[in-house]
Amino acid sequence: MAAEQEMRVSEAQIAVHWREEEYYHPPATFIAQANAADPAVFERFSEGRFPECFKEYADLLTWDAYWHTTLDTSHPPFWKWFVGGRLNASYNCVDRHLATSRNKAAFIWVPEPEDQDAKAITYQDLYRRVNEFAALIRDFARVKTGDRVTFHLPMVPELPVSMLACARLGVIHSEVFGGFSGTACGERIADSGSHILVTMDGYYRNGELIDHKAKADEAVAKARALGVEVDKVLVWRRHPGQYASQSPMVPGRDFFVDEQLGDYRGRVVEPVSMPAEAPLFLMYTSGTTARPKGCQHSTGGYLAYVAGTSKFYQDIHPEDTYWCFADIGWITGHSYIVYGPLSLGTTSVIYEGVPTYPDPGRPWRIAERLGVTIFHTAPTTIRMLRKLGPDEPAKYHYRFKHMTTVGEPIEPDVWRWYHEVVGKGVAVIVDTWWQTENGGFLCSTLPALQPMKPGSCGPGILGIYPVIYDETGEVVAAGSGRAGNICIRNPWPGIFQTVWGQPERFVQIYYEKYCRDMASTNWRDWPYFAGDGAVEAADGYFRILGRVDDVINVAGHRLGTKELESASLTVEEIAEAAAVPVMDELRGRAVEMYVSVKPGVAPSRDIEQKVAKAIETEIGKIARPKNVWIVPDMPKTRSGKIMRRVIAGISNFTDVGDTTTLANPEIVGDIRRHVQAEKMARGEVPRDLSPQEIEELKAFGRAE
Amino acid sequence: MMTRQYLLGELSLILGELQAVATDDAAVRAAGRLRQEAETTPPAALSPVVVRAVALTDRVCWDALARGETTTFLRETAICAELWEFGVCAGLLEDDQTSDEMGRSSRDVSCG
Repeated sequence: MAAEQEMRVSEAQIAVHWREEEYYHPPATFIAQANAADPAVFERFSEGRFPECFKEYADLLTWDAYWHTTLDTSHPPFWKWFVGGRLNASYNCVDRHLATSRNKAAFIWVPEPEDQDAKAITYQDLYRRVNEFAALIRDFARVKTGDRVTFHLPMVPELPVSMLACARLGVIHSEVFGGFSGTACGERIADSGSHILVTMDGYYRNGELIDHKAKADEAVAKARALGVEVDKVLVWRRHPGQYASQSPMVPGRDFFVDEQLGDYRGRVVEPVSMPAEAPLFLMYTSGTTARPKGCQHSTGGYLAYVAGTSKFYQDIHPEDTYWCFADIGWITGHSYIVYGPLSLGTTSVIYEGVPTYPDPGRPWRIAERLGVTIFHTAPTTIRMLRKLGPDEPAKYHYRFKHMTTVGEPIEPDVWRWYHEVVGKGVAVIVDTWWQTENGGFLCSTLPALQPMKPGSCGPGILGIYPVIYDETGEVVAAGSGRAGNICIRNPWPGIFQTVWGQPERFVQIYYEKYCRDMASTNWRDWPYFAGDGAVEAADGYFRILGRVDDVINVAGHRLGTKELESASLTVEEIAEAAAVPVMDELRGRAVEMYVSVKPGVAPSRDIEQKVAKAIETEIGKIARPKNVWIVPDMPKTRSGKIMRRVIAGISNFTDVGDTTTLANPEIVGDIRRHVQAEKMARGEVPRDLSPQEIEELKAFGRAE
Repeated sequence: MMTRQYLLGELSLILGELQAVATDDAAVRAAGRLRQEAETTPPAALSPVVVRAVALTDRVCWDALARGETTTFLRETAICAELWEFGVCAGLLEDDQTSDEMGRSSRDVSCG
């Protein structure tokens, strides 16, 4: 009971900590020109009109064939949108704008070195380049519809050209963030089964030309070690004709794109008419030692969703100059640098380098020079620009009408600097919450119709019905001040289709937790579990609190298992670590650490103490584990994921559940004998657990 | 959280820069290990990795200076500063985190 009270206090404290802020209203000048200024739009996207409401987004696209079914729920949660429809994403982003905007800039690319001129790439030029590269990868690299092609490209125009060339052919592209290592790239190549890697020799960062091609060699070696052979490495050159890398080209495998393109000058490739449900791209999420998660996004649903949200929430008009200061290597860049803005025929700015190079005034000089009207970036960048150049924006004569923040909650004081100094008090701000898996925004404010509130991302956007559930699946009421798990009650067109090659993981991570009936084909029984904690204010605005998965609540302190494990790994002797909760009469839950040591290291009491001390140092005394168990190995799935649920069962003397899917099931008995015998000797056998507690342990670790 | 993914990427990128400029093999290997950790750590648990990255960078700066490699030292200090600013602005480091605290983490960083 005491523990329950402490948990409630903790949730309330979270809410109190995030005090409600005052509203800010958009200026009349913004409302007058906004794409969505008529409140009737809310009725058009009301729940009673779901899913047909999303026809309004799909109608922004050009379809080769219209769909016969807007939403097919026959195989949940593998939703199908616009079934029967056919279209091509490249055609929608490029070809269809030629008639009216042939000589308008599709992209303006700004190199990092300030002495290199910005380059405008018109829709006509983009059309030419996309077609030529599509011809090259089809005829030279021999890729065909449905194949995967991996890119490891920095922020250069060749990246969207490559994406749109693949889309033209119905080839699934998979861009790996250019800053990632070759090893990370190789793992993603292997997972996607891609045989073609598209990379670049170098790019500028902080004034230096970085050798990038060297990573391709690492990537190919890693993919080979994982069983996938890369046949061709296509290397764009940052300065065509000059090679910027020290890494030698491998004969027969590596080819300079600028040399090969000569054979494809002026070639036109007919866009392949793709089913709406055909995969458009994979976007891998990081942050797990298990197999990477390739989020598979569709062609029709995804493109409709990013077009619609770009129009209504980014308020993009064709005449805008829009700058999303993110990297195309992340979902933000895919959705809101490339596919969303281009589907609306606007001009999208791409910047190659570091925001503060050569000084913190650089973004504002770019904005002034290019006449940027819409600006979009992340709180980390905003904080950095404020810290390093708080007065810089005032020195430049740009004028934003609209600004976006994306990626993490923004503190109210940072929000106010963004509004007053960067936005000069006139630009509206949309604070957005969404995820790689979601394709586009989930919560935000419709900028002309809903006031801004610093620190809150806003309500669910058009056609999105969020809810907060507690651990037992009960709805946490708006305005209660209590935190819980934010979920989306309905499917939407931008939702990813599956985890590439791992459909069971897709269901387990995102739907199993709150699914009411696994046999149901009614979408209402399948809420999407986002894995973020949130509070809903009485006005329906959400404040996002961060990840909720794998949290151990010790006397009201929510401790992330990953933080505990990372702290343990600071001990040199430790190879692997897993944190689990154990029922504790005093504190509600306590932490137990399971660790394995590196080869050649003997287990010792000293190592256990080092782990406990490291956790105290990195996180605090409250996190000190009740026990540190050194085990010979962890129970793992075949993909290498540690099964914390099994370990939690051992620590709490409960059923460990199904172990048949483990790669090393024999280890479970060994650990159980060792740990439980020791606990019994110490008198640490817990009381009988309640059904709720048993359920909690069973669910532990599933959200990873 | 969606684009907190980019924090992993930025940290990996900065550690890649350190790998590229470090002249000491042990430091290159240590940076490589931390980079791999950054690429496989959930964003919510990134803070300890950043702390150790700062500690490692700090240490390799001083090692370079001790060897009289001033050019390397200057490049590494620039990376250290970039890492620090990134960590603070991303909320992964406290702005007033003391060098003593960093030093404590430094002892946990193996360059071997």
